[in-house]
Order: sequence, then structure tokens, then C-alpha cells
Amino acid sequence: MSTDTTTRPSAGPFATESTGARVLRFAIRRGPLILFAAVCVYLALASPFFLTQANILSSLEQTAPIAVVAFGLAIVVIGGGDDVVSGGIDLSLPASAALATVILSDQLTNRGAGLPQAFLLALLAALVVGLVNAVLVTVVGLSAILATLATYVAVVGVTRVVSENRRIDVTDPAILYIRDEELLGLPVAVWIMLLVFAVVAFLVHRTRYGMNLQATGGNLDAARSAGIRTTRIVASTFVLASVAAAVAGVLLVARGSGSSPGIDERLLVDMMLATFIGAAFSPRNVVNVLGAMLGATFVALLSNGLVLTRVNNSWIDGWKGVLILIVVAAAALQHRERK
Amino acid sequence: MTVDEAPPGTPVLEMAGISKTFPGVKALDDAGLTVRPGEVHGLVGENGAGKSTIIKVLAGIYAPDSGTMRVDGEELAHVTPAAVRSRGIRFVHQELQLVPTFSVTESVFMGAELVGPLGVRRREMRTRAERILEEVLGTAIDGRRLIRDLGPAERKLVQIARALVQEGPRLVVFDEPTAPLAAAEGERVLSAIRRLRDQGIASLYVSHYLGEITEICDRATVFRNGTDVSVVDPIVESSGRELIRRMIGRDVDQLFPERKNRADRRDEGDGENGQDRDARGDGIALSARGLGDGATFADVSIDVARGEIVGLTGLLGSGTAEVVDTVVGLRRHRTGSIRIAGRDSGIASPADALEAGLVLIPRDRRHDGLVLEQSVETNLNLSTLGRASRLGLLSSKLLASRSDGLIQKLDIRPADRTATTRLLSGGNQQKVVLGRALAADAGILVLDDPTVGVDIGAKQEIYRLVAGLADEGAAVLIASNDPLEVLGLCDRIVVMVRGRVVLDVPASDLTQEELISHMTGSAAGDPTADARTAAPASAPASADTAIADRADGSAS
Amino acid sequence: MTTTDTRPGLVGALRSSGSWIARYAFLAAFAALFVFFSVQATSFLSGSNLLNALQGSMILLLIALALTLVISSGGIDLSAGTALDFGAWFAIAAMATYGLPWPLAVLCALAGGALVGSVNAFLIVTLGVTPFLATLGTFFIGRSLQQIGTGGGANINYRDAPEGFRALTSGSTLFIPNEVLLVGIVLVVFYLYLQRSKHGVRIEAMGLQDSAARTAGLRTRRYRAGIYIAAGVTCAVAGILLSSGLRIYTPMAGFSYLLDGIAAVFIGASMHPRARPNVLGTLAGVLFLSMLNNGLDLLGLDFNAKAALRGLVLLVALTLAFLIAKQARRTTAVRAAAIG
Repeated sequence: MSTDTTTRPSAGPFATESTGARVLRFAIRRGPLILFAAVCVYLALASPFFLTQANILSSLEQTAPIAVVAFGLAIVVIGGGDDVVSGGIDLSLPASAALATVILSDQLTNRGAGLPQAFLLALLAALVVGLVNAVLVTVVGLSAILATLATYVAVVGVTRVVSENRRIDVTDPAILYIRDEELLGLPVAVWIMLLVFAVVAFLVHRTRYGMNLQATGGNLDAARSAGIRTTRIVASTFVLASVAAAVAGVLLVARGSGSSPGIDERLLVDMMLATFIGAAFSPRNVVNVLGAMLGATFVALLSNGLVLTRVNNSWIDGWKGVLILIVVAAAALQHRERK
Repeated sequence: MTVDEAPPGTPVLEMAGISKTFPGVKALDDAGLTVRPGEVHGLVGENGAGKSTIIKVLAGIYAPDSGTMRVDGEELAHVTPAAVRSRGIRFVHQELQLVPTFSVTESVFMGAELVGPLGVRRREMRTRAERILEEVLGTAIDGRRLIRDLGPAERKLVQIARALVQEGPRLVVFDEPTAPLAAAEGERVLSAIRRLRDQGIASLYVSHYLGEITEICDRATVFRNGTDVSVVDPIVESSGRELIRRMIGRDVDQLFPERKNRADRRDEGDGENGQDRDARGDGIALSARGLGDGATFADVSIDVARGEIVGLTGLLGSGTAEVVDTVVGLRRHRTGSIRIAGRDSGIASPADALEAGLVLIPRDRRHDGLVLEQSVETNLNLSTLGRASRLGLLSSKLLASRSDGLIQKLDIRPADRTATTRLLSGGNQQKVVLGRALAADAGILVLDDPTVGVDIGAKQEIYRLVAGLADEGAAVLIASNDPLEVLGLCDRIVVMVRGRVVLDVPASDLTQEELISHMTGSAAGDPTADARTAAPASAPASADTAIADRADGSAS
Repeated sequence: MTTTDTRPGLVGALRSSGSWIARYAFLAAFAALFVFFSVQATSFLSGSNLLNALQGSMILLLIALALTLVISSGGIDLSAGTALDFGAWFAIAAMATYGLPWPLAVLCALAGGALVGSVNAFLIVTLGVTPFLATLGTFFIGRSLQQIGTGGGANINYRDAPEGFRALTSGSTLFIPNEVLLVGIVLVVFYLYLQRSKHGVRIEAMGLQDSAARTAGLRTRRYRAGIYIAAGVTCAVAGILLSSGLRIYTPMAGFSYLLDGIAAVFIGASMHPRARPNVLGTLAGVLFLSMLNNGLDLLGLDFNAKAALRGLVLLVALTLAFLIAKQARRTTAVRAAAIG
């Protein structure tokens, strides 16, 4: 509160902002975007293959599961507020998705079930996790981070029991269809992603529930005083997000032709990155559904491009870590500037 | 209790015999309030008089212990927020209850969205929101703009539009609607309220700005000590003085302590100006010279001598709060200097200030003053934990003896050093903050609005303590926008208007009317005159007769 | 203040039995579990097993102490495991790769922890990033650095570590294992600092209400920066002990301690009358979790099943800890209101 006066170049309430200050503000607000654009340009120059249609389509296919969990996280963050500590967050989503992949693979390969039955079971498991999160946050009063970090570990443990920590291959035709086929020039997995996007975007931006959700996350007191049942809204976000996790499970099984241990960790990084960078895409600079999809696409393109330019695989996570930090530091600076 | 005679037509709101007790405080005692259809009704009273409590009872937030409430003649059995809302009573809260990232349309319809088969009907909502803003409130705001891009007055208008968007508004309750607004902007809100009256919608207008009350209200109810003491009907230009008399209703002199050396000080101090004092120099504990932060205030010079109480006063937004923050290192100054005992202070943080022997008693004690979840003992010792330590470890014996001493000296109740500070009343919490400052043995005390939300009894004790400290040789700087407080307590008064010092004189040279006219920038004019129109958009919040404190903390 | 509240049966029961039962619920659970393991696994009660369990809990205790410090100041450190990794990595690499004598290697390890802590301090204090995101970012970067530094995550073996380095965990002084002695000293230092000195009170004030602490004249920025660096160094000590015991550095081994550490802090907080993180409570939490680990091992459960069970027990423990803490807070509130 006190330091901002020293950084402001112009004095007096009537002075208009100097051009330099405006550029600086723009850079802070759009920093992550500028950075991403720069990285993409670099990748396109460094690898001629980067901008080919085949590469973009395959990147999109890689994006699908990340985008779908990111939609789930976006719902939680929109409803809980984007303050990561006191606001909404669901770290257990990748674990739920991983549990779903294991249940799906186990059902399809070892128990001879069909996709509908397997999916129902996976959905059920994810819903249980979502409900546990909802109870922990709204009834017990744990902060969302802590509650979902705990369920994350518990679910990872359960996943290991179910899978015996082994890879399960899947050759179910429905899964192979999602993996290999294209409709109207787009992979089926991408269609599924777009479908989920349409449903979630409608829910969040076009329904009364969605408006109440945004109000709850934007200003809890204001929402409560406007007669919105905020506790119910917050609880519902965790349940909805777990549905997204189950759908992402299907896409993950298709992408990997089965389930493999440890899939949750990378998904966690990518999901967080996609969702929070997504905020930089919105004119209001808040976490939102379209932003989550664009963010996921960017993350996939980035990983893909780094691989194409023969960057050591080990560096990729580091790059993502740096990006997360730039995004949040930009957000923090912006927050300070607004005060 | 003056419940007035049969009004013409059924009152839109009639509250009678309302009592509400909180642990240790009787916030409302057989209070009543009547609003006629289509009128603008003022609600005035000091902090702790029960204004905000009765508003909360009306809103269904507090359940009263007894009393009845009728809307349009019908008694409400259960006063819940939903029931009140469905009867057409709407609230425009003091805090801006808006989501910064929402558009105007979304904010107006928050919690009452229009939904069709294809989802939320954005276009229709936008049309209706813009129409309400335009036709009812007389302002054109694009429904797509975001709240965070609006000015404070526009935000307030959006809040008002929200109160009107649902069917059948009968009464809109305004809680200090102009408090955060600059002068010209406040006028927009006032004219919106006039438009509501023209359309037959009644308003209940809660404000400390008596100038506004006399300007737009038809009648006003005065609250004192938890009850309605009188109704002023009708309100005319000159009702301001009448309102003040009924609000205070007590002997003001008793509230303030006798100052031991005030008389002597007057003898030597009368007629002195800043230069003379500067030349004298030696007794000056705190001296600010040509202070400015490049934005909210400029060229501010203040001297505080040992044993002297200096009042820094002005309307909300005049820059007094910023000057205080700068003096204690919470804010940086771009020009000028701050000297402590004749040396450049180099204060960049409250910690530096503490080391230089200067402590702050902040205005928002619940947020900045106290760690509410810690014990009274911890809070009393928080600035001086080193002195309660032996060999680097805290001594519980020292902690206890130090805090017990302070609790006794300040008469903090309950006299339990282990009590959680959050559970104390506002006055006792403020005494804990004072106690912490006392514990630090600081030679200079800076108090920022020390009696906001403090009841009369505690107020009196706080004044006594501050005066006692000054008598013992402390230099005291008090920022306050309560003219009575400054006049009653201070030796010298420095008045700020729009970020500049306009007056620096001994308190005895001023009458209340003179002080108020200096604060409002209409010196020598009628104290209740409206100075709003003259003030530019950037400057002080409001220029009407400001009386009592700005924020209503009362019994909550 | 708390008007409506859906009160689960358990908490309702606790409420009526008085707050001390709530406070000691974990001690009761501790005792019950102790009896259960003693009956189910015969070797549980043997002196050597208990000593083993105690020694095995030392690393977790260090992590939990670091987290107690950070959480007490209102923050969180998700990079605690990373600091541990850096400690272990720098210690082993200094000796195995660069051939430094072991005392210098220990210094390198501590510097590694301080590095992680300094990055956190920079992000949190200077840039104003929330601790959660800042330490998450540090965690990701630290993980990547380890992968890069080890050519994709390969272990670094150093079987023939110098005797002095190995003695940190294998030797004993006056019949007390060196490891326990060392961590015991750290524990006492933390206890004196956080629970008995002015610093602990100040840090708690910062954690509860930063602006009030600042106005009261506390140098909160300085404290906060110091806290994250101290936490990094403490975790690096844990890394040194880990590498001394195993004589091997496994990249990213530290993460597994993080949640246990957080859980231990919150279990400990639930035993505090005002539900604040505290050193002795953290110790009790660590011992509880270690006993759970040890007992589950002795029961001969499958590795994966153990992981799941531990996760679930942790979840239940955290939930209980929170419900109890909430209850305790309410009871003190009621009592104090009665006084007032």
C-alpha cells in the first residue's frame, strides 16, 4: 500500500499517465501472453515442422486431457476465488483422472467390461473424491489447498492398489476409435474436448448457476448478501470438477493406449499452468473456461515445440516452473499496482 | 420516545419498541423508526447511537429481542433478508458490495438473473440495466463496462440500480452512500435519490454529513444512546444546528479532561505562528517541514512540542490520514523532511518509528491495530517483547506483571490478560492499542481517528489517558475529522483542505462553527453551506457539515 | 458469531465432554494405535524396533519443524522436499564428484537449502507472490534442475563415503544415536525460538494479522525472508541425514515427506488451545505418523496397500485435527465471552 506511490512516475491527481508507465502496465498485464508469443515465434523459427498442420493437430490431441481437467479446475477457481491460498483450488483432479484411467483400463482389459460400464465406475470413483473434497472444504472447514492436497495423496495411494502400480494396456475398440479416428478433419479426442468445452462454457457463462458461481468467487460477501447460496455453490464446484476428471480419464486412456503409473504428476503441472495462464487470455484477466483451453493448447504446443527443437526433456518442467512463476509474479505485481 | 402523530397515509415502514442487547451492550433500547411513502427520511446520530444496529435489524441480519416491524401497515412475523426484500425494501450498503471483474449488467442483476431457454438473457438484462440507470437514476453507463473500470460514484449508482432492478421497490436504505465519494460525485448520488422520490420510492438516508441531510431529506429521526430521541419535521436549510443539538444532547465539556498545562500554554502560545515556533525549536519533538507525497498532499508543515496535543483535522479525503501514515513510515514522502527531536528521522517503516520513539495508534484497529486472535497480554506487549525477556527467553512473570499493570492503569475490561482480544468491545480494544503504545514508553504518540466506533464512556477514558500522557511530557498528534474531539482535546489545531494546510492555530482561538467552516473550505461562511459544488473531482470527499466520526462502528 | 452450524455427532460429543478431551484426542488415538500394534505385531514393542522407528522419524521431524516455522508465519512451503533434495544432492555431489572433504560437503548442503529458501524469500517478500504459488514454482524448478543435473533423474551412488559423514547417522554419542542427538538439538532450538522467545510471538502475530504486526513495529519483511531461508536450511539438514544414512542421492525423494510434514503440523496445532502450530504438537504429530508407518510395515501389508492406507489415515487425521481445532476455538470463544 505504501510503496506504490514511489513507483508512480507522475505526480498529482490530474496528471495523465506517461507513455512509459502505460507500456509498463501493459507489459505487466499481458506479460505471460507476450512471453508465450515470443516462445512460439522462436519455436516456429527453430523448427520448420512446428507450424505444420500434422504437428498442430497432434498437439491438439495431446492437449485434450489437459484441457478437460483444466476446465474442471477453472470451475473450482471461478467459484472459490483466484486467491490460491484462501480461494478455490483442486489439486486432487489429476489424481482422480489417474484413478479413472486405472479403473477404465482395468475394467476394459481385465474384466471385459464395455466402455459405458467402465466409464460409469470411473465416474463414480471420481464423484466420491469430489464429494469428499466438497465436505472437507464446506463442512470441515479445511482450506481447499490442504483438503485437496490430502485427497490427492490418498487417491494416488488407492490408484496404486487398484493398478498394483503396473501399466495396463487397453485395446478396446471404442478407446482406439477415440485415439485414431478423425471426424471432419479433427481427431475424435479433440471433438470430445470441444464438446466438454461447450458444455462447461455454457454452464459458466450462460446460466444463472454460472453467474452465481462467478459472483461467489468474485466477492463472497457480495454474493451472500445478494441471496446466493454460496456454500452450495462452492461444494458443487468440486463435484463438477470431478466429473471433468473422469472424462479426462477416458482421454488419457486413449492417448496412452492404457494406464501407466505416475501419470498424475505431470498432469498436475500442466493443469495448473493451463488454468492460471488462461487468465491472461481473458479481457477481464480472470480464470475462465476459454482461457483454460487456450492455456492448455499453449502448454501442449510449448512441450511439443521444445521437444522438436531437441531441448533436453529435463528442461521442459523447469521451463514450465519458470512460466508459472512469471504468471503469478505478474499477477502479484498487478494486484499491488491496483491497490 | 417521540413517535409522531398519525401520518398522512400508512407509513411504508414502521418499527416500534425495538430492543437489542449484545453481551455487555444494550445497542437498541425501545427504538422506533417511521418512514412515510415517497419521502426521503434522514437517520442521524453519533457512533454507537444505534443507527447501524437498527438498519441491521431492518435488513433481517440481527434478530431483535423485542419490538414490531410493519411494512405498508402489515406486520412482519419473521424478519429475514428474503422477506424484507420481497416487501420491496432494498439496501445500498456502505461497503461497495460489488465484484470488480463483473460488468455493470452482471452486477445489477447479481442474484436475480433473467434466464431463458438458451441461458442467461444477456441482451435483455443489459437493456434493462441501462434503462434503470438512465431513466431512474439519470446516468448513462454502458452495461458492458467492468466495475473495476468505473469511478466510485458510478459504482454507487450501479449498487442503487441493483436495489431497484427487482419488482416493486418501496423503500431504499442508503447507508452513508457518499462517504467514499468526491464532492461533485456525491451530487450525482444525491440527485439519483431525488429522482427516486419523484417516482414515489421512499429512501432512508443514513449519513454523518448533516449538510446532505438538510439538503435532501424531508424529515429526519435522531438516534441517541440506542433509541430515537426525536423526529425533526420538516427539515429546512437551517435545521443543521437543531440536529446537532439533539444528537449530542449532553454537556460536551464533561467529555474532555481538564488539561493541566493548557492554560499556561495558552499564555505563551497565543498568536504564535509556525515560524515563531520553529525558531523556538527546542521543545519540538516532532517536526514535519514541507511534506508532500506527490499525489494526495503537499507542503504540509506541522510541529508537535513535548507536552502538547496537536489535532490534525479535515474532511475525509483531505489528506490527514495520508500525512499520518507518512509520519510513521507506512507511506513514503517525496518532498520535505520529518525531524524527531531536531534530527532527520529516516523513518521508513513503523519499526523504524518505534526505534525513534514514535508509535502509531492506527485508525482501523481491528485490521491494523491488534492481532485479534492473540491474547490481550500478547497484544499489550507486542511492541516491547524484548523488555519482557530474560536471557533471550520470554519471562511469563514479566509478561504478566507488565500487562496486569497496563490493564489496571487503563481499566481494560475484562481484566483478564489471557482473554482473546477479538472478544473485547471496541473501546476496550482501543485501550489495548493505547496500552501497547504506553508500554513502549514512546515520547511521541500519533493517533489516527482514535475514537471511531468507541462508546462515550470509553471515549472519555481515552481522552483522559491521552491528556495524561501529554501532561507527563509526551508529544501527541491526533488526526480526527470530529471537530468536537479536536476542539475539546487539543492545544493546537491544524486544518487540512484538499491536501494542504489551511490553518494552524491554538484551539482556544476557534469556535466549533469556525472550525467547521475552515474544514469545509467555506471559511467565514455559513457552516452548513454546501461547498460540494466548488470542489474539484479529485479532492476531498465531502464538504458538508461533517459532525461526529465518519464510520459507524457502533455495537457490532 | 457462529450462529448456524451443522455439528457432526463426534464433535458434538467432544463439546459436551469439555475441551481437554478434544485437545488430547490425538494422544488417545496415539495410545489406542500403540496398543493395537503391540497386540498385532509382536516385534512392535521390542526396543530395537522402537529405536528404529524413532530414528526413522528424524528426517520427517526436521521437515515438520521447518513447516511449523513457515505455517506459523501464515505461509506454506511446498518446496520443503526440494530443499531436502538439494541438501542431499549437494552433499553427495560435493564428495563424490568434486572430492571435497565431508565437513565442506555439509556446508555445501546447507548452502543448497539456503539457496532454495532464498529463492522463496525473494519471490514472496520482494515480488509479493503468495507463498503457495511461489514455493510451488520453486518446487517445479528444483525438480527440473535435479533432472538436468543428474542426466534425467539417475541416482548418484557414493558407497564409500567418509567415515565421519557416515557417522552422522550410524554412530552414537553417550549411547544416543548421533542422528537423534542432532535432531534433538535442532528441536530444542526450535522450541526455544518459537515457543519461549519473543520471536515466536512475533511470528505468530505476523501469521495471524500481518498488517497489525507491522503497525506494532515488527520488521515483518525481514522476519519472513529469514523464515523461508531458515526453513530451507533445516530441510537441507534433513537431506544431509538422508544421504548419510543411504550414501546415495535419489532425485526428487523429498516430495514424499511434504504431506506428512504438513499433516504433522496440523495434528500438532489441533492439540494447542488456540489451534496454532507449535513445536511440541508437531513432535507429537511426527511420532504419531512414524508409529503408524512402522506399525503398518510390521503388519506385513503390501507396499501399494500401505500407501493407500497411509493416505486415507492421513486424510482422516487431518479432518479430525481440523474439526477438533475448530471446536477448541469455539470453546475458548464461549469461555471468553462468558468472562466478558
